[in-house]
Amino acid sequence: MATELKPGQKRLTPGAIFADIAIVAWFVFALFPILWMLLLALKNDAQQTSTYFAFSPTLENFGTVLSQRGTDLTSVDFKSAILMSILNCGGAVLVSLLIGIPAAYAAGRYRFKGSEDLMFNMLSFRFAPELMVIVPLFVIYTQIGLFDTVFGMIWVLQLVTMPLIVWILRSYFEDMPEDLEQAALLDGYTRRKAFTMVALPLVRPGIAAAALLSFIFAWNNYVFPLILSDTAASTVTVAITKFLGGGGQAYYNLTAAAALIGALPPLVLALTIQRYLVQGLSFGAVKG
Amino acid sequence: MSTATAQSSPGGPGPAGPDGPDGSRRRGAPPKVSDRARKLRPYLLSVPALVVVIGILYPFVLGAYYSILNYTASNPEPHVVWFANFASVLKDPQFWASVRVTAIFAVAATVIETVLGVVIALLLNRSSFVGKIFERVLILPLMIAPVIAATIWKLMFNPQFGVLNHVFGLGTFDWLSKDTALASSILVDVWIYTPFVAILVLAGIRSLPREPFEASDVDGAGWWYMFRRLMLPMMWPYILVAVIFRFMDCLKAFDHIFVLTAGGPGLATRTLQIGAYEDSIIFQNFSRGSTYMFLLWILVFITAKYLVGVLGKAQRRAAGAEE
Amino acid sequence: MGTLSLRGVRKTYGSTVAVDDMTIDVGDGEFFVILGPSGAGKTTTLKSIAGLVDIDGGQVSINGVDMTGVEPYHRNVAMAFESYALYPQKTVAQNLASPLRSGRSGSFSQDEQQKRIDAVTSTLGIHHLQQRLPRELSNGQRQRTALGRVLVRPADIYLLDEPLSHLDAKLRAQMRAELKQIAQSSSTTTIYVTHDYQEALALGDRIAILREGRFVQIGTPEEVWRTPVDTFVATSLGQPEMNLLPGAVRGGRIEFLGGAGSFPAPADLGLRDGQTVQLGIRPSELEIDRGHRPGGDRWLRLPGRVLLAERLGRQVELDVHVGDGQLIVVEDSDHAAPEGSEVTVQIDLADVHVFDGASTAADDGEARVHRAAPRLGSALGRHSAPMPEEAHQ
Repeated sequence: MATELKPGQKRLTPGAIFADIAIVAWFVFALFPILWMLLLALKNDAQQTSTYFAFSPTLENFGTVLSQRGTDLTSVDFKSAILMSILNCGGAVLVSLLIGIPAAYAAGRYRFKGSEDLMFNMLSFRFAPELMVIVPLFVIYTQIGLFDTVFGMIWVLQLVTMPLIVWILRSYFEDMPEDLEQAALLDGYTRRKAFTMVALPLVRPGIAAAALLSFIFAWNNYVFPLILSDTAASTVTVAITKFLGGGGQAYYNLTAAAALIGALPPLVLALTIQRYLVQGLSFGAVKG
Repeated sequence: MSTATAQSSPGGPGPAGPDGPDGSRRRGAPPKVSDRARKLRPYLLSVPALVVVIGILYPFVLGAYYSILNYTASNPEPHVVWFANFASVLKDPQFWASVRVTAIFAVAATVIETVLGVVIALLLNRSSFVGKIFERVLILPLMIAPVIAATIWKLMFNPQFGVLNHVFGLGTFDWLSKDTALASSILVDVWIYTPFVAILVLAGIRSLPREPFEASDVDGAGWWYMFRRLMLPMMWPYILVAVIFRFMDCLKAFDHIFVLTAGGPGLATRTLQIGAYEDSIIFQNFSRGSTYMFLLWILVFITAKYLVGVLGKAQRRAAGAEE
Repeated sequence: MGTLSLRGVRKTYGSTVAVDDMTIDVGDGEFFVILGPSGAGKTTTLKSIAGLVDIDGGQVSINGVDMTGVEPYHRNVAMAFESYALYPQKTVAQNLASPLRSGRSGSFSQDEQQKRIDAVTSTLGIHHLQQRLPRELSNGQRQRTALGRVLVRPADIYLLDEPLSHLDAKLRAQMRAELKQIAQSSSTTTIYVTHDYQEALALGDRIAILREGRFVQIGTPEEVWRTPVDTFVATSLGQPEMNLLPGAVRGGRIEFLGGAGSFPAPADLGLRDGQTVQLGIRPSELEIDRGHRPGGDRWLRLPGRVLLAERLGRQVELDVHVGDGQLIVVEDSDHAAPEGSEVTVQIDLADVHVFDGASTAADDGEARVHRAAPRLGSALGRHSAPMPEEAHQ
C-alpha cells in the first residue's frame, strides 16, 4: 500500500511536506473541540470558567452527571435520558429490522410493480423536512396519548432507521447471487428455509452494519424527542441542551461531561463498523 | 457408483407406495402455487414496510392539509381557508428572511464542505504516514450528535471565557452576534460534515481504475492535467452524491443552529425549519408552520429532482471516461 | 427416472426473448445435450425446467405431469449451476449433504448420507476435500463439488449447466469419460448444457443445437454431424471450423475456388444453372492425396500449395492455397506436407455439404448466425448421406 502510485505521488518534496502540514492543520481543527470537551469535563466547578489548559483534573463530573446530585443541581435527569435513548433507539432499530429485512429482500430479489416507488418513498423520508411530519404528529400524539412515550418515539424514529436499513440491505441482497437460494430450492428447501439458511447468514455483516449505523443516527437525533417528548421519554440529545438552558448557575463542566458520555456510544459503534460506513452514509450509492 | 443405482421407484402420476429405504419420494400430483400467489409474494413481504410508509405518509398529507386550514392551538376547530396561509406567508418579510438565511447557509456550507472534503480526500489518498494516522479519526466529528457538537462549539464561542477568544487573543469577540452568527453556524456545519464529503470522495478515488493514470504517467502528463482531465471527471459522480446529501440536509438544517442560536439574534439564523418550529410549536400556529414546511418541501423536491438528474448525467459521462 | 417434455416454452426478459417456441421430448434415462454459444438461452432453458424462472408461455411436464405453478422443491430435479452456487459457509461434505437432509429427495439415515457422499466424492476425485470450505477450493474442485451435489441424490432429472467448463483440459477429458460412464450405468434422465461440441458429441444420446433461444436441430450426434440442417449447425461442430466456400452452378457442374474445383451438380438437388451455393468441407475429412484412394468420381481432388503448417500434437493443421481461396486441412502428422510444397487434397464427395448460396462473407460471425444457409444435401445428392433425415425439423 505504501508504494501505491497514484497521481501526484512523490516523497519528501516540498509539495509532500506542504500536504502533510495541510492534513495536520485540518485535524487540529477537527480534533480540538473534542479535546476541549474532554478538558472541560475534567475541571472542577471552581476552575470551569477561570482556566484554559492548566488546571487540576478530576473525574468527579462524570459521577455527578449520572447521580441524583447532578439532577438536583441542573434539574436534568441524565441517567433516565440515557435509558430512554437506549430504549427508543434500540426499539426503533429492532422494529425497522423486523419490518425492513423482508421488504429489502423483496426489493432486492423481485422486480415487481411498485417496488421502486416503495424504495423511493423510503428515500424521500431521509430528505423530507422533519417538521413537515412532526407538526401533525405532535397534534395526533397529544390527542391519542402517544406524546412523551417510548412507543411514540419508536414509531417516529422509523423515519430515521427504516430508510437506512432498507436501502443498505437491498443493495446487499442485490449483490448476493441468486443461484445460491435457487440451489437451496432445488435441494428441496422451501423459500422461507432457503432465505434463512442461505441468504440471511450471507447478509449478516450488512444487517449488523445497517443496524448499528441506524442506531447511531437515531441516538443522535434531536428534533423528534425535542418536540414529541417531554420528560418521560426524553433522550440524551435533549438532556444535554438543557444543561445550558436553565437559569441560575451554568455548569459548563457538567455539560461537557454529559456531552462526552452522550457522544461515546456513537463513536465506539462507528469505529467498529468503519468498513461499512461509506456505503451506509450514502445509502448504498457509493460502495466502500 | 452407488448413487446411480439408488434411484427412486418408477413413478408416474398417481400415488405410489410408502417411501422405500433408498429414499424414493412420494408421488402424486405435486402441490401447485397459483400465478396470482406467485406474483403476490414480494408484496406480502413488503406489507409491513408499506404500513410504516403509510403511517408516515399520513401525517405528511395531514401536514399539507393543515396548510390550507386556519388551525392553531386556540382555534381547535379550524376550517378551510385555502391559500390564505400561503398568501400571508409569501407576503411576510420574516419568511423571506428565512429563505435568504437558508439559501446562504445551504450554498455556503455545501460549497465549503465540498471543496475542503475533496482536498482532504486527495491529501489522504497520498497515503503518507501522517495521513494514515489521521484517516482513522476522520469520521469522529460526523458521528457526534450535531446537538452535542453545537453544545461544545457554543462553549468555545463564549465571549467571556471561551477558549477561541483566549487562543486567538480576540478579547470579547462575539461569535454569535447578529453579524457573525450565520457564519459561525456555517463553521460548525463545516466542522461536522466535511468528513462526510471526504470519506465519500476518498472511497470514490480508491475505487477508480488504475490503468488510465499509469498510462498518462508514462506519457509524462503533469499532475494538474491528470487531475483535471482524468481524475475529476471520474470522481464527479462521487462528489455529486456528497453534494446532493449535503445540500438537501442543509436546506432543512435545524439541530445545531437551534442549539447555537435558536434562530437568533433577531432573524440572523432563522432557517426555514427553525421558522416552522417557532410558528407551529412555540406559537402553536400549526397551519402557518405547515405552510412553511410545505414550501420548504417543494424547494427540497425540486432541488432533489434537478441534482439527481445532474448525477445521472455525470455517471454516464464517467462511465464513458473509464473506457 | 423421468421423462421431460417442453411444449412451446417461451421466456422473455423485458423485450429480450431468451427462449422461444421450445418443444422437445426427452425419454426416460436419456442423456440429452443442449449445445449453443453463450447467450443462446441455455441456462434459461434449464431454469425453466427447474421452475426457477417463471415461463411466459408453453408448458413443462415431468413424467407427464404438468409442472405449471409447481415450486422448484416439488419438481424433484437436481441442478449443477455454472456458477457452482455452493453454500459458502458449509464444507464440501455439508454442501453434498444438503439435498439429502431436506427430506424432499428421500429420507436418508446419517449412515446412508455419508455412504452416498463418500461414493460421489471418490468418483469425482474430491474425497480428500470433504472438510474444506468452498473458498479453500480451486475452481475445478468447486465445479466438481457442484456436480457432486447433483449426483449424490436421486432425482427425476439432472440438469447440468456447463459442469466441466472450469476444469483444465486433462481433467475435463477424464471427467467427460467419468460422466459418460455414470450416465450409462445410471438411469437418470439428464439435460446437459454446453458450448463445447466435443462434450456434446461424446456424451449426448441426442443433441439439440440452440441458437438465439430456438432449437435449430435435434438429433443424434451422428445426425447432426453428418447432416447439419444449416451452416450454423455445421460450423458449430468441429474445430477448426468447417471450410465454407462459395460456389456456383455452371453447365451442370458446381464450380468453386475460382474454378480450381468442380464436380457434377447432383440432379436431385434441383439446382438451376447460375445458382450460387456454399460448399461445406470439414478440415478433418480432407486429406492429402498420396495415392491411397481409388480413382473415380467419388473423390474430389484439388491441387494446391501448403502455405502454413501448424503442428497440433499428433495432427497438423495445414493452410492450403487452392485456386483463388484457401482450405484448412487437418491431417495426421505422418502424412503432412511441409510448408511451400505442392500437394493435392482430396475428399469423399459424400462428405461435401452443399448449402444454399449466401451473399455475405462467411467469415462474419454475426452474419453467419443471422443468415445461416440451409443445407440442400451432399455433393452426391439429397439422399446420398448415410443417415436418414427425418430427425430434421
